[in-house]
Amino acid sequence: MARAREEAGDSRLVSGREPSSCIIRVSVKTPQDCQEFMLAENSSVHHFKKQISKRLHCDTNRLVLIFTGKILRDQDILSQRGILDGTTVHLVVRTRLKGTLPGPGTLSGRTGHCTHLSEPSTSESAGMLARLGRLARSSPDLADFLGQLAQLLVAAPESVVQLLESPAVQGLANEKPADASHAPESSRLVQKPESALKALETLQNPARQQELLQADKRELEALKAVPGGDNAVRPVCSDIQQLLLFTPAPLGASKGHNPGSELCKEEASPHVNTDPTAIPTALAPARPLVQKVRAGEVTQARCVASNQANPGYGTGMPDVNSGQDLLSQESQQPAGRVTVASQLRPSPSALRRASHVLQQNPTRLHQLATGSPLRHRMPLLPILSNPRALQALIQIEKGLQILSKEVPGLGPCLWGPGRPHGIREPPETRGGGQGQRADSVQPTLAVLQLLHALANACSQPTQSSSSSSLLTEGCYQQDLEHLKVMGFANCNANLQALVATGGDIHAAIERLLGVPEARAPPADAHSAPPHGEGGRGRGGEGK
Amino acid sequence: MEPPNLYPVKLYVYDLSKGLARRLSPIMLGKQLEGIWHTSIVVHKDEFYFGSSGISSCPPGGTLLGPPDSVVDVGSTEVTEELFQEYLSSLGESLFRREAYDVFENNCNTFTNEVAQFLTGRKIPSYITDLPSEILSTPFGQALRPFLVSVQIQPPGGSPVGRPNGQS
Repeated sequence: MARAREEAGDSRLVSGREPSSCIIRVSVKTPQDCQEFMLAENSSVHHFKKQISKRLHCDTNRLVLIFTGKILRDQDILSQRGILDGTTVHLVVRTRLKGTLPGPGTLSGRTGHCTHLSEPSTSESAGMLARLGRLARSSPDLADFLGQLAQLLVAAPESVVQLLESPAVQGLANEKPADASHAPESSRLVQKPESALKALETLQNPARQQELLQADKRELEALKAVPGGDNAVRPVCSDIQQLLLFTPAPLGASKGHNPGSELCKEEASPHVNTDPTAIPTALAPARPLVQKVRAGEVTQARCVASNQANPGYGTGMPDVNSGQDLLSQESQQPAGRVTVASQLRPSPSALRRASHVLQQNPTRLHQLATGSPLRHRMPLLPILSNPRALQALIQIEKGLQILSKEVPGLGPCLWGPGRPHGIREPPETRGGGQGQRADSVQPTLAVLQLLHALANACSQPTQSSSSSSLLTEGCYQQDLEHLKVMGFANCNANLQALVATGGDIHAAIERLLGVPEARAPPADAHSAPPHGEGGRGRGGEGK
Repeated sequence: MEPPNLYPVKLYVYDLSKGLARRLSPIMLGKQLEGIWHTSIVVHKDEFYFGSSGISSCPPGGTLLGPPDSVVDVGSTEVTEELFQEYLSSLGESLFRREAYDVFENNCNTFTNEVAQFLTGRKIPSYITDLPSEILSTPFGQALRPFLVSVQIQPPGGSPVGRPNGQS
């Protein structure tokens, strides 16, 4: 055998394809495993298949051999196809014989396109999606319905999911695609959505934060491409639901007795008991988290959500837990609120908010440290509307938390140079503060300081006109432009105002109006809201 | 015998960090990374990728990630759609079950590498497959490893690919 291999190797070195029947070793790779076969170089594929079928105990008819993308025919010779010693051939064992037409084949054969729906050519296990897509193709009314369904999914997904889950739709989905039955079914289905649409529209009104919904609708166009968005939306929406529960709770937990957050919490709590796949109407705040699919943004969502309500996911995010501890200690809230915070652990949004607040209000930092509740209500929307900044913050925070825990001495080294203008506290205070407080509040503060130092260090080589930190430039770019258009020509002041108000353009304008160098007349303040909303909206979906 | 059909195979490459990795990696990792790559294979007018919920498919560019940051031509294949579905189902029950997802060792790029080799015999560019080792070879990556192992990446917008009788 070794001699044969040597011969094969030599022959390859010499000419590569000698007609002599050298024994070559060929690896056969299946999805399950990889096996090696020794056979003659000039044997046929048919012979090869026979050997394989003997070892794998299956019919040669079921074997399909693929080499460099080409399907090997029975009459081919191995060497002619370029199969030499040591090469790997891929094998697929068909579950059905070639003659039959399997389900996936029919599905894929009918991959059509209708409006903005297209059916992915998956196997039958695609289920409702595939069938809805087929139904949609067969009936233009249905296509419209599904399009509207997708749109409404954005607006009030809860009811849409319920609609999808309704027995009528399920029955439709489970029925075999028979042309004869399409007509009555589609009419039923069309009637149903009309009532559902009305219901959805009414539900749309009480939905909070609709401006974000408008902005984020575009982000979810991918969902529209999938009829009903069932498979895609379900896990996402369940995560969003969890996130939604988290964001109001820490909002209250870390910001003090905030009646607004209480309200949020109460609104969110009814959703706790709903179907895990039902999407709360207040989808908007968590929507930006959805749209940040880019990195582990969705993974963040999934991790956080999974961590909480669904132990089945089993993915833990220990730093989020520690973040929760930090926040609860930070705020030094009454036990009830802390319990809330511990039950519904803070999402990355809470960390983000904390970071922003601390960045902009270092005095409040001291307040937090000394235990007085923070009254300032952080506007959530602008923060959430900048997915990249949020994601960057989270990722860096995580890393820096570890750093600061592992190497506490590292912090002071990084705090010195490049302090962002938003943090006016001297580093010594920070260092002193860290030294004094032995509790786990320190890592968060240190984390955030490091975070801003890092951000500053990054932003220096890429100085934008706003001359702010990396995190704020993208966030406030639109708002800055709007302020400029409105007549606030001092970019630095604009940016400072925006940073101070956390991206709230209205508050920023008020702030700027209070500053002597602001020149904008009061009339502009009234025209600000549409600009501001538009800006936020555009900023939210800007890539 | 008529010549078999050749289907083009493309690799869609997405930067999950949307440019952040290129900017922050020198500071955070000490080395330059051009991106955090998520890849998918596009063949037979469908996009296939592997995430924490298993193998999924969608129309090309149909995940929430949007259009790819770059497209690499992998080659052509004779593998028919039907055969490919069988192959994917089989993969989805063995090497690429949803539980088998590991962000470092068995991730979306592992999957696309496997599929690319099956379809065309070629591997995907090494800068993509080298990414986990690049990150883990830095102290920062090592420090973050315990946290990163629980990261699950699953771009929404696709539907699962599996055997007809059950989930993959």
